[in-house]
Amino acid sequence: MRSMAIILRYMIVDQRQALLRGALLSVVVLLMGAALLGLSGWFITAAAAAGLVGAGAVFDVFRPSAMVRFLALGRTAARYGERLQTHDATLRALASVRVRLLGSLVRAPYERLQRVRAAQALNRITADVDALDGVPLRLVLPVMAALATHVVVFFVLWRLVDLRVAAWVACGYVVGGALVLALGTRAARGASRWAEVAAQAFRTRLIDLIGGRADLAVYGQLVRQAEAVSAAEERRRAQVMSLDFIERVAGAALAMTGAVVTGGALWIGGGMAARGEVSPASAAIGVFVALALAETIAPLRRVLSDQGRIVQAARRVAGMLEAPATVGGGYGGAAGGMAFSGVTYRRVSGGRAVLDGVSLTLEPGTVTAVSGPSGTGKSTLLLIGAGLLEAERGSVTLGGCRVADWEESAFRAAVTLVPQRAGLLQGTVAENLRLAAPEAGEDALWEALEAVRLDGVIRAKGGLEAMLGPRGSGLSGGEARRLVLARALLRRPEVLLLDEPTEGIDGETSAEVLAGMRSALPGAAILIATHKEAEMSFANKRFALKDGCLVKCE
Amino acid sequence: MPDPQEPSTDPDRARLRRALGRERRAIGIGAALSAAAALVWPLQALCIAGVFAGLLTGNGITPGLAAVLFVALAGLRAGLTWLAEGVLFRASQNVIAAERAAILRREAQGAAESSFGGPGAVAALAAEKLEALHPYITRYAPAQARVAVVPPLILILAFWQSWAVGIVLLMAGPLIPVFMALVGWAAKAASEKQMAEIGHLSDLLVDRLAALPDVRVLDAGALVTSRFAEAAEALRARTMAVLRIAFLSSTVLELFAALGVAMVAVWVGFSLLGLLSWGAWGGAILPFAGIFLLLLAPDFFQPLRDLAAAWHDRAGALAVAGELAAWEAEAPAEILGTGGAGEPLPGAATVRAEGLTARRGDRLIAYPDFTVAPGEKLALSGPSGAGKTTLLRVLAGLERAEAGRVEVCGAALNDGTADGWRARLGWMPQQVAFLARSLRYNVGFGAALRPEVVEAAALDGVIATLPQGDRTVLGETGAGLSGGEARRVMLARALEARPDVLLADEPTADLDFETADRVTEGLLELAARGCTLIVATHDPRLIARMDRVVAVS
Repeated sequence: MRSMAIILRYMIVDQRQALLRGALLSVVVLLMGAALLGLSGWFITAAAAAGLVGAGAVFDVFRPSAMVRFLALGRTAARYGERLQTHDATLRALASVRVRLLGSLVRAPYERLQRVRAAQALNRITADVDALDGVPLRLVLPVMAALATHVVVFFVLWRLVDLRVAAWVACGYVVGGALVLALGTRAARGASRWAEVAAQAFRTRLIDLIGGRADLAVYGQLVRQAEAVSAAEERRRAQVMSLDFIERVAGAALAMTGAVVTGGALWIGGGMAARGEVSPASAAIGVFVALALAETIAPLRRVLSDQGRIVQAARRVAGMLEAPATVGGGYGGAAGGMAFSGVTYRRVSGGRAVLDGVSLTLEPGTVTAVSGPSGTGKSTLLLIGAGLLEAERGSVTLGGCRVADWEESAFRAAVTLVPQRAGLLQGTVAENLRLAAPEAGEDALWEALEAVRLDGVIRAKGGLEAMLGPRGSGLSGGEARRLVLARALLRRPEVLLLDEPTEGIDGETSAEVLAGMRSALPGAAILIATHKEAEMSFANKRFALKDGCLVKCE
Repeated sequence: MPDPQEPSTDPDRARLRRALGRERRAIGIGAALSAAAALVWPLQALCIAGVFAGLLTGNGITPGLAAVLFVALAGLRAGLTWLAEGVLFRASQNVIAAERAAILRREAQGAAESSFGGPGAVAALAAEKLEALHPYITRYAPAQARVAVVPPLILILAFWQSWAVGIVLLMAGPLIPVFMALVGWAAKAASEKQMAEIGHLSDLLVDRLAALPDVRVLDAGALVTSRFAEAAEALRARTMAVLRIAFLSSTVLELFAALGVAMVAVWVGFSLLGLLSWGAWGGAILPFAGIFLLLLAPDFFQPLRDLAAAWHDRAGALAVAGELAAWEAEAPAEILGTGGAGEPLPGAATVRAEGLTARRGDRLIAYPDFTVAPGEKLALSGPSGAGKTTLLRVLAGLERAEAGRVEVCGAALNDGTADGWRARLGWMPQQVAFLARSLRYNVGFGAALRPEVVEAAALDGVIATLPQGDRTVLGETGAGLSGGEARRVMLARALEARPDVLLADEPTADLDFETADRVTEGLLELAARGCTLIVATHDPRLIARMDRVVAVS
């Protein structure tokens, strides 16, 4: 529930105007609906009374009938506006949650970024954020609008009919609705959550079954896995069946709330009319308005079934929205080279050290290469250098100042990393390059592309405005790699950290690319993590990483 | 009811009918119950009208009695609705479960990934998209039944009391199907458009999230966030432009309903005042009838509006039916046997291939005949794409040969022997696909890790760096294991099975020399214990360690 509150707060803070407009129109629709039915009931009863005593000729028929027509048309128009506004509010809230999520994750620690980018984690996030889209439309607006409507109707009924009728209608609906909502959500909570959990299990197990089909078959596990998938589905089914039961109880309770309130208004109002305390026409207002207001509690039912999904999603998304940001210091001086001294790093505390007291100096204008088999910690060394991971012991300094004390932006301007699995965005080539340098002119972009020998390819694809698909699809692996390298060059960093820079690029081109990068950044200190001979021989200083320690190579 | 769908969706409709299958009777009952519940309302209206007629003319029922009757009838209505919903819910769950089971059955026996999509696409169909059948069965079907029953009945009641009211409703009624078609069409277009746009926004978000580390390193966080916000705003503006038009058509429907009700109210009022002497049978209308008609008029239109609101449920269900049809369109190639645990085949683990050909796409691959004796180390070499992987799959009974014969342990490899044969096999695929479970489960399928296996696969170092050791959940990304570490987990799994024959596909591809050597040593150690090795590879260093090479080309 706390997570729900966080998400709601963001939605309301971001989209106060749109939500208010939507709520206001919802109230107008409900009020006009109540007024239309109340007025019609009054009109017909009063007309009948006048007709019976032969006073039909003096009865003012034109104002009420004009009002009926006005309310009928006005309600239709207001309904149209309400639909537009509530959808608009939903779309806005949906955008703002996504924007906030992105803004928050951009500043999150590196480990979290790594976890988030896996395909299934991404699917999860998409599904969660989509689940939250229903919050304003299904939960917030209907409840807000219903409460506001009941307040207004209470005073109007008091004025037009009687306090007893007004109080009965308002209390009946508010208390009935609140009871159903409170008891219903509590009753449905467990089933709703477990149904969601089982649905997730079904999905994951089915993906495992299909993705690992061959392996599972060879090891004789396929039948067992299929049974596990069915078991998850069985569990989900049992949960949604009990959820449906609760929901139907709630639906019946809401319907009966409306019936009891209307029946009560009929009893109270009719009795007062029979005793002559109010006119039959006034009593009719109470009954017809009570009938119309059943509309205010109907949306509550949807809340019950969706709450499991929404609450779970809110919990995960709120967790990401409140992700701790990495903080930097305020230093912003000259950079110069980078020095690692005695850097130790473990993936798990108490586990084996991936880096064990590594010391290394990167001089401006030199290329240093670190080689070693996969999993030995080359990438970790680079990530520590880029300030994305923190060393357990030892320090990394840039221009003589500890990395942690640098102001983030100044540090990023001085140090650039090209990770092993670098990412491109959907958009044009120019947009992707300008991520690195928003102000760069076309000449600068072409220069960077020439340095990595990609200018010909891009020209053939239609120049800088050529579109890339999601995650840069449309380029081959080697081309995408070179585009990422060009992007790094545009930062004009003083320290450039390259993780297997020419992976996927053929031998001859890779030598050209490295030379091109070197001459594009003659003064930069470059550190390459590699297991390719060509990259090693390109370096001025060569090291091998073995058991967490650096060994100089000749 | 005119159908805005084009004839091109006829196969979808047929597929939808087939999906409903045995539950059609239950759906019919549920829909009928729902219609019956709607028919209680005229009786409730009688109670209210009776009270006011009594107050005005002295000829009616008392408020107390009316209120009790009204609530009791509401109870009947709620009860019928309760039953209807229960029946429909059960029916819809049965339909969805049957389709899920069919998907599971076929995917569990499938030999290869279908062109429909990978695991994610099939799981999305089975887990999420099938749910679209639910609102179709629970909302659209009963709304349809109510439309067939409620408006005609109210029309009859209206004509019984007043031909003028009857004509008003009759006039507004037939116009509604015309607008229904319009609304249906527009609602479908709108919901599709909206879904597509929201989907697009999600894709855009996913695209950004996948590139986050780069965005961070390039200090482009603010830029990317603001661009994304712009894109989201542009999407919103476009969607709203569509919705403005789409909602207009449903507003026209409501307008007709509202005008119909208002006209009834005004006519009844004028008639009661004695200002109109036409429209009712035999002079002016009675107060009782007037109030009764006023209460009925909105419910004449309500089922039509329900149906309009449920229209996109039908479109959604048809879309799913279309996807189901697409998924089924491909004739599935099945594996041999069940893929379950089997009693190991007896006898020496010899492998013989005779006149084997296999199909890959529209290409036919012919393989040389070969025999592998127990304990032998055989390399299958050849350029990539020559069919080495396919041959390994055929030998494991994961794929059926187009022609020729595989003999294992002296028996033909077929549906009867495949499970028993695989009980003696080990398997190392080139593409590592971890289950979303612990490392321990990925190796031993529930058994605890044996120290000698951990040692032989050099896994101890790997396990030490994982946050929860061998209980760390691997999943899609393998908890950050490198390519070499992932291979070693696959090796450990093969060792754990204590196989008599190991089939390994490119076990050293994409690995640096040192890691490749470690994997090779692991394989040879297995061979030293008498296990047959059949290794598809083009790594010359690995080939050099084998006894014999069979060239596949």
